[in-house]
Amino acid sequence: MRKRAILLPLTAILCLTGCSNSDRNDITLSIMGKQSDLNKSYMTSIFQQYEEETGNKLRIIAYEDTEYESIASAKFEAGDVPDVFLHFNNADLNRFNVDENFCYLNDQSWVSELSEGAKAYCLDADGNLLGLPFWENSVSGCYYNKTIMDGLGMKPATTQAEFDTICQVLADTGYTPICWPANGCAWMPQFGMDPIFADDPSVLEKINRNEITYADIPEIHNMVQWISDAAEKGWFGSDFLNVGWNEIGTKMASGDAVMTFIWDTWFYTDLPENGTYTVDDFALMPVFMNTVDGGTYEGGNLNMMMVNKKSSNKDAALEFLAFCAEPEHYNIAFDGIATVNCFVGQTTNIQSQMVTDAESSIKANQRVSTASSRIIGYSGDDVVLAFDSMFRGNTDVTGCVEMMDNYRIEEAVQQGITGF
Amino acid sequence: MKKWFGKIFLPFWMCIVGVIAVVTGCLYFRFIADRIYEDSTSHLKEIYGQVNRSFGIFIERNWGLLENWSDYLVLVDNEDSVPEFMEEKKEKWGFSEFYFIGADRTCMAPDGSVITAELTLWDELMQKRQPVMDGISIDRNELIVFAVPAIHGTYRGFDYDAIAITYTNADLADSLNVDAFSGKAKCFVMHEDGSVLLSTQTGGNVFENYLVYLNAATDLTDEELEDVRNDWENETSGLLQCNIGDVSQCILYMPVGYQNYVLLSVVPEDTMSAGFLSVQKMTANILLLLFLLVGVSLFVVVIIRGRSQNRRSRLELQYRERMFDVLSNTVDDIFIMLDHDCFHVDYVSPNIERLLGISAESAKKNIRIMEECVVGDEVIILKAELEKIPVQGSVFREHEYMNQNTGERRWYRITAYHMDIQDVAKYIIVLSDRTRDQKMNQDLQEALAIARSANEAKSSFLSNMSHDIRTPMNAIVGFSVLLEKDADKPEKVREYTRKITASSNHLLSLINDVLDMSKIESGKTSLNVDKFSLPELFEELHIILDPQAKAKEQTFRIYVQGTLHEELIGDKLRLNQILINLLSNAIKYTQVGGKITFTISELPNPAKQFVKLRFVVQDNGMGMSEEFQQHIFAPFSRENSSITNKIQGTGLGMAITKNLVELMGGIIHVESETGVGSTFTVELSFTLPEPEQKEKWYLHKVSRLLVADDEEEICHDIQELMRDSGVEVTCVTSGAAAVEKAVRAHEQHEDFHVILLDWKMPGMNGMETARRIREQVKADVPILVLTSYDWSEIEEEAKASGINAFLAKPFFVSTFWQTIRPLFSDQTQQQETAFVPEGVMKGKLFLVAEDNELNAEILTEMLHMEGAKCEVAVNGQDAAELFLHSQPGHFDMILMDVQMPVMNGYEATRQIRSSAHPEAKTIPIAAMTANTFAEDVRNAIDAGMNGHLAKPINMTAVRELVSRLLYTEGKGDHT
Repeated sequence: MRKRAILLPLTAILCLTGCSNSDRNDITLSIMGKQSDLNKSYMTSIFQQYEEETGNKLRIIAYEDTEYESIASAKFEAGDVPDVFLHFNNADLNRFNVDENFCYLNDQSWVSELSEGAKAYCLDADGNLLGLPFWENSVSGCYYNKTIMDGLGMKPATTQAEFDTICQVLADTGYTPICWPANGCAWMPQFGMDPIFADDPSVLEKINRNEITYADIPEIHNMVQWISDAAEKGWFGSDFLNVGWNEIGTKMASGDAVMTFIWDTWFYTDLPENGTYTVDDFALMPVFMNTVDGGTYEGGNLNMMMVNKKSSNKDAALEFLAFCAEPEHYNIAFDGIATVNCFVGQTTNIQSQMVTDAESSIKANQRVSTASSRIIGYSGDDVVLAFDSMFRGNTDVTGCVEMMDNYRIEEAVQQGITGF
Repeated sequence: MKKWFGKIFLPFWMCIVGVIAVVTGCLYFRFIADRIYEDSTSHLKEIYGQVNRSFGIFIERNWGLLENWSDYLVLVDNEDSVPEFMEEKKEKWGFSEFYFIGADRTCMAPDGSVITAELTLWDELMQKRQPVMDGISIDRNELIVFAVPAIHGTYRGFDYDAIAITYTNADLADSLNVDAFSGKAKCFVMHEDGSVLLSTQTGGNVFENYLVYLNAATDLTDEELEDVRNDWENETSGLLQCNIGDVSQCILYMPVGYQNYVLLSVVPEDTMSAGFLSVQKMTANILLLLFLLVGVSLFVVVIIRGRSQNRRSRLELQYRERMFDVLSNTVDDIFIMLDHDCFHVDYVSPNIERLLGISAESAKKNIRIMEECVVGDEVIILKAELEKIPVQGSVFREHEYMNQNTGERRWYRITAYHMDIQDVAKYIIVLSDRTRDQKMNQDLQEALAIARSANEAKSSFLSNMSHDIRTPMNAIVGFSVLLEKDADKPEKVREYTRKITASSNHLLSLINDVLDMSKIESGKTSLNVDKFSLPELFEELHIILDPQAKAKEQTFRIYVQGTLHEELIGDKLRLNQILINLLSNAIKYTQVGGKITFTISELPNPAKQFVKLRFVVQDNGMGMSEEFQQHIFAPFSRENSSITNKIQGTGLGMAITKNLVELMGGIIHVESETGVGSTFTVELSFTLPEPEQKEKWYLHKVSRLLVADDEEEICHDIQELMRDSGVEVTCVTSGAAAVEKAVRAHEQHEDFHVILLDWKMPGMNGMETARRIREQVKADVPILVLTSYDWSEIEEEAKASGINAFLAKPFFVSTFWQTIRPLFSDQTQQQETAFVPEGVMKGKLFLVAEDNELNAEILTEMLHMEGAKCEVAVNGQDAAELFLHSQPGHFDMILMDVQMPVMNGYEATRQIRSSAHPEAKTIPIAAMTANTFAEDVRNAIDAGMNGHLAKPINMTAVRELVSRLLYTEGKGDHT
């Protein structure tokens, strides 16, 4: 009620402002994104604020999540590029020909408003700022059901060995230790891969120059072997091949699964409210995937807004980004949203207790999302295919690694990357 | 008794033995398992007792080392040597770090780094000056610390009152690990409250509190857990068995002997008893193997015996089945066995294929296939009906079946039995051939029906006959009385005698029919096959029937379709009888002014020596009801209607006709509609005689024939009929054309030898044409007129026109030949026509053999009327004696009745012919009999007679016979 009291005068002011700009009513910006992304409350809020205050219109072009990448890339190839393009991080952007299609935003006035962590996710390899991070900034790690673990007299793992022991004890006790959504969820392996490439940048450089492959990296093999063994031991449950995005919430809220590798904001947006367990029952520990003994966290996965440099509405699009980066606007949009700050002036959001409690561990083990965003040709979907083939017994660990390599190299070749 | 033993006692006994064996086995294995468990737990306690003791020694050793090092530190002069000393000890004893502990709870490592460690047992260490073992956390690392009070000292300026060494969980796990239990045993050292100090788990300790885990993850009850907690507080050992997940675990705990620390081991039960279990398993396996061997041996023996028995049973079964198959193949009964519950066909006798034309296999697959063989829409026994049959009961019914292969129809009695065969319920269905019985029944029924019908018909006939006979008889009697009264009135006498004659003739025809039918029915009728002329037959029919038709002002026409063979071999008399019957009936049952047509046609016949003729008699009379048509050919049947009842008849005519047709190998059928008319069709086959020599036409110089008829079809027929005669036939379709042709031929000196003209032609009719030909040709060419009309009225005019003769339609070659032959022959031959003068018998003496006095009197009187005399013999013997004793030439002829007492006519004739009388061989003998059939005539001839006279005697016939025998043929040798 108190919030509404503040918002109403603000809305009135915005309306007045919008009325005064009635001569710009003819501008309509096209924004393309995934349907689920565009439907986020803070996105719809900022869109509404923009339309109301500026009088401009936004033409929302939304596609089903599963079709988004392929449709968008096809449209780009056909020259049908929206004014504003939403994309997760700077990963897999090569297919959209970033240099040709999008503005570098380093000189925008709002850059100083960005938190360093958020900004890091929006830079390309040359340090160019590709977009405005306007998203829930979250921490990805191993979120576990603390209530269940405490009930079993167990404590979170600090090493890979402890994690494995926990998994086995949970399995022996009758729980599914890890919810592993093998059906189309592409982010799982990337958490394990981050330390390999983040901790030793030379490995990243070599693989991006095609001097080595995954097969040449022992940690990759260790990771795939661990995942394979975990599946074999039943740590992912019996039906994990059919578990997709929609089933994660059910499994976690019901207590069927004790742990999963995900991000904190997911608990505020996707965990079913009517389950046995709520967000208060969960805690955070590092992801253990046999690539680093102390485990790892991945920084926020941010959606960023990019501006079509060839658009006739380029200036309006840049103004739209500036509009979004203004504290009075993003603080309304992110009011009550659980997220780590993207903007230094972000005050209305809430930070999850899980992240707060694990702060020292996060500080010690967090890594920038490296695998998905930095490895040329990396595609989470391709990795899912390789793992699916292994889980179904169509190939072994070596074959899985080979498939990951093949997909990656093929993509790099398609992108015309030098050295491939 | 034996059955009871086999069916109840033996299985029961085997069950008892089985149960005892199983219970004994279970008890044995339970006993073994208990013993093994006891030994295993004992083993477990022993092992972990040893581990516990070793751990105690380890603790004591650490404390001892620390106490030694405390002394050393007091004495050491150079602090710089301490790090090296401790590194050496660390290497040797395996601890992770050494610490100096200050009174302010800070700790300093030999390298000078200072940390703060919260020891739970701080008071015991510092205040009570007791050595302690405790857990601490340094930089998130869980460590076990061993500390002892030390003499106050200073190291690198750090005041300390105690010293300690730390171990990581991994450092100490080895000291608690045991090699036994396949490495699956876990061991924990924990506080009495369950918080874990040390764990041997791979990967380190993941438990905060193991008691909490036991509470949450096992099936231990709260009471059991409380007992555990109490044991730990009271430093008591214990052994638990519980399930963690699906695995049964043994949990052994015992006090460490320091503080309330508890050493707890968790061992999967199967692992703990693995060694013993293997012995148990081996024992069990051996026993099982022994049992198995015994069992298999018994099984093999049973199987061998069973197989042997089965083989014998099978062979016996096969033998029985084969025998049954053979038997069933020799009988006309079909056997089917169905399962009671599912109606599955168990058996079908193989003769089903022979009898019904369906294979046993197909019947087995689908028993309902048999329904296809059932004649008509009847349903064979239904499933529902079968289900209603009680055990040992049966149902039956009869159906007519048709063999699917041969089309043969047979009657079967289907009997379905519900049988209990060796406790298995079955339906047995037997199809027994009842064709013969059915046929017999049918024949009997038909015979009965026929008999009844015949009886009824005869009753009806007698009733009718009574009326029919009485009517003429009344007339005869009545007029005879009147004749006596009016004998003096010649006019009356003539009238009465004419009526008596008419009534007598009617009565005679009645009697002839009855006798004829009787003869046919008794199977004594035979055919008198001889060559005859079809045209003559038609002429006779026309002569007989045309007057009858004219009397009723009816139109009677004879049509010939196509060409016919004129000379045939057959029984002309019977054919005549058939056709007269049909035609006279047509006339009789057609109203005044009606129309009767008689159509003859030849049917195609592949055999050249035979010809098949179709005779169709059609009228537009009253017709017949459909019901009557069904039995029109039955004897004594007459349509019962107001009209027919007024028409005289015996009801035998059509029956006689049909029988005669069938006797001649033909068929007859009728189509009729009441009020519209009737059509009778008769088809008969005749043998063809050898073809006539065509030379006769040349001999009579007939080689060119002119035919004029406006109907081209007739012209064509005549050409066809004359084709084999060698006569060239020229046809024209008008009178004018005929004149032209005749004139031209004459001019060319090639006159036609015969000219045949149709009477009624459009334009110029036959007579006019003949007149013109006579005028222009002048030649004496025979001109004949072809007509289907009565030419008697125009005969004079025709002759005046130059017409030589008339020829009745239809055209027949033989008739044509007979007509023209006189025109080319001597006129004397025209006198060949038999003429019997009335005085032919005058002065003759007849020997009359007649046993009936009245008949003899009548005949005597009639002979007297003819101017002849006679002597009467009363029987055959008397006649023979009279003749034998007579002088030669005394008798001119003998008239011999056939049926006479003492000696019949045949015997008497044979006696006469075989006698020594000079005229024995030559005296003409004529039979007199009411039996007028062909065989009667033949019998008479065979007996040596020369002729046959039918009774009642007709004097015209007598004159003709006498004329033939006495004047034409003369007396001859009749041997």
